[in-house]
Amino acid sequence: MLFENMTMAFHAIRANKMRSFLTMLGIIIGIGSVIAIVSIGDTMRTLVSDVYKTVGVTRANLYVWPQDGSDMRTSDYFTLDEMERIKEVFPEEIAYADSSAYVSADVQNGRRKVKFSFQGIDFNYPSVQTVNILYGRNLTEADIRGRKKNVVLEEDGAKALFGVENAVGKTFRMTVYGQTDEYNVVGVYRPERSALEKLVMGMSQSQTQYGLIPYTILTWPNDIFYQVSIYAKDSQSMETLKNSLPQYVAKTKQRNPEDVILYSASDEMSQMDAMMSGLSGAVGGIAAISLLVGGIGIMNIMLVSVTERTREIGIRKALGARTRDVMIQFLTESAILSAFGGILGVAMGSGIVFLGGSLAGLSVVVRPSVVVLAVGFSAMVGLFFGIYPASKAAKADPIEALRYE
Amino acid sequence: MWKKLKKTPSYLTENVREDLIRLVDLVKIYDTGSIKVMGLQRINLTIRRGEFVAIMGQSGSGKSTLMNILGCLDRPTMGHYYLDGIDTAALESNELSAVRNKKIGFVFQSFNLISRTSALKNVELPMTYAHKSKREREKRAMELLKRVGLGSRYEHMPNELSGGQRQRVAIARALANEPPLILADEPTGNLDTASSVEIMELFSQLHRDGATVVVVTHEEDIAAFTERIIRFRDGRIVSDKKNQPRNLTAQEAAKMQREGITC
Repeated sequence: MLFENMTMAFHAIRANKMRSFLTMLGIIIGIGSVIAIVSIGDTMRTLVSDVYKTVGVTRANLYVWPQDGSDMRTSDYFTLDEMERIKEVFPEEIAYADSSAYVSADVQNGRRKVKFSFQGIDFNYPSVQTVNILYGRNLTEADIRGRKKNVVLEEDGAKALFGVENAVGKTFRMTVYGQTDEYNVVGVYRPERSALEKLVMGMSQSQTQYGLIPYTILTWPNDIFYQVSIYAKDSQSMETLKNSLPQYVAKTKQRNPEDVILYSASDEMSQMDAMMSGLSGAVGGIAAISLLVGGIGIMNIMLVSVTERTREIGIRKALGARTRDVMIQFLTESAILSAFGGILGVAMGSGIVFLGGSLAGLSVVVRPSVVVLAVGFSAMVGLFFGIYPASKAAKADPIEALRYE
Repeated sequence: MWKKLKKTPSYLTENVREDLIRLVDLVKIYDTGSIKVMGLQRINLTIRRGEFVAIMGQSGSGKSTLMNILGCLDRPTMGHYYLDGIDTAALESNELSAVRNKKIGFVFQSFNLISRTSALKNVELPMTYAHKSKREREKRAMELLKRVGLGSRYEHMPNELSGGQRQRVAIARALANEPPLILADEPTGNLDTASSVEIMELFSQLHRDGATVVVVTHEEDIAAFTERIIRFRDGRIVSDKKNQPRNLTAQEAAKMQREGITC
């Protein structure tokens, strides 16, 4: 009987192709936008979590931020000694710490000028982040302690500046904090970038190249800095640090513990996540409204259809259809109409997403569960908005219905 | 005025299974709110199995009201209607649907086939509501279409068939669940004379095969095919007579032979 009803429903939908399509349009657009939004959200989320996979959930920034809005004191800044002290106090938890410094500068090799951005690192940076050395070596403890003007360049940067990938042993001139010096290239590495970083870099079209430099050069000349970038050994030691590090720093700097902030990558990530889900919630709400409108459209057309087919209903009832049979027939019809709209909507939504993804060079995510949910939900919408027309049809008096012209 | 008896007296129900239709003190009142209209006034009528009956009357005579009640599309206000031994006045609407499905085959004046649906599917419809399997339905529907001479047109849509052919599809549909009663409401009202004769001859054939056929009509020519004519006026039976059915003329018989109707 269910199969019979479905055949009848397809029959009725096919008989009025244009009208059926227009009826479905609301659902198509609703489901299409839901699929598009959810998939974009999912794609963004995967990209972001990829970033944090490479950055590591063990990373955190430590800084002083007076909660009462008062001015910063000189003692709120960190010195190299203080940083060493922090490392000594938490030797079990901290794997790595630096001054979280970057410098952007124009780098000159003869007449060739390239924009570079250098990250100040300690010698053991490779123990917390992947640095694939292609040529030469990494920065050593001697480079850091002696403030040697040695750098490691990214392969693209080396190519841009020297025209060859293997730039080990070459030198260039760069101005850092107003002081122009000669720097030596001691190594060339290949970075590991997440899809999001690639996307952002692709979009900004910037010509900036990247490299690593001893952080001690960037703290020179007065050796104070605003924040300390810390890598914990693992997520558990990160928890320990969150509990005790701010207290310790607060004591040394005569601050309240809440004025010392340890902002971890996972905090950052959950903030991003909250923002993202808030956004998709809002857009999802709009999509839900369009589904509602689509549902009302289906109800409207089903009412027209019931009126048009009054005579058919009368015939069916005279031939022995029970109230339930007629009800189910029309409910099946509206559910199929709406589910079919849902399927078209999924096709449209994922089509848009895949098209956009291929244009942006991203691998997009369309979760099968979302597709199933969307089609199921649209069928539910159809069922719900089909109830009134179907019950109207089912309640029709066969004598009246047979007389209907 | 009429007091409904709590318990039906035994003389009303005795041997009720032997008669296909028994109407006992049947009354139908239409309540339009301000006025009450008497549709049928205390009808007592028995139709035995295998009869071929015409119910005649002018419009407003109550014959359509009776037709609706006989067809279980409507319920009497008072009294009893026993169909195949079942007191239909006591049934609720879903049970009436089941009675219509199994006990009654309808043939309407305006054919009432479902549009944009093939002849075969139309004939299958009552069997669908009787929850018969697809194979069984198709087999039986094909047999019935062959029987009414439309075996080759089973795929045609109603709008591709002539009036007479449509009515024959409707008759095939009426026979689908082998109901004990064939109820025809002005079956020739929309047909030309030749087709009318065809249809009535088909009914005669069904009657000869043992079916009970009740034809509601206002045309004497049509009633002439039947064996019993019941006349209505103002909601009452005014006459109930036996009739010698007319035979086909040789010309009509030859024409039907040509069209392949097995009479």
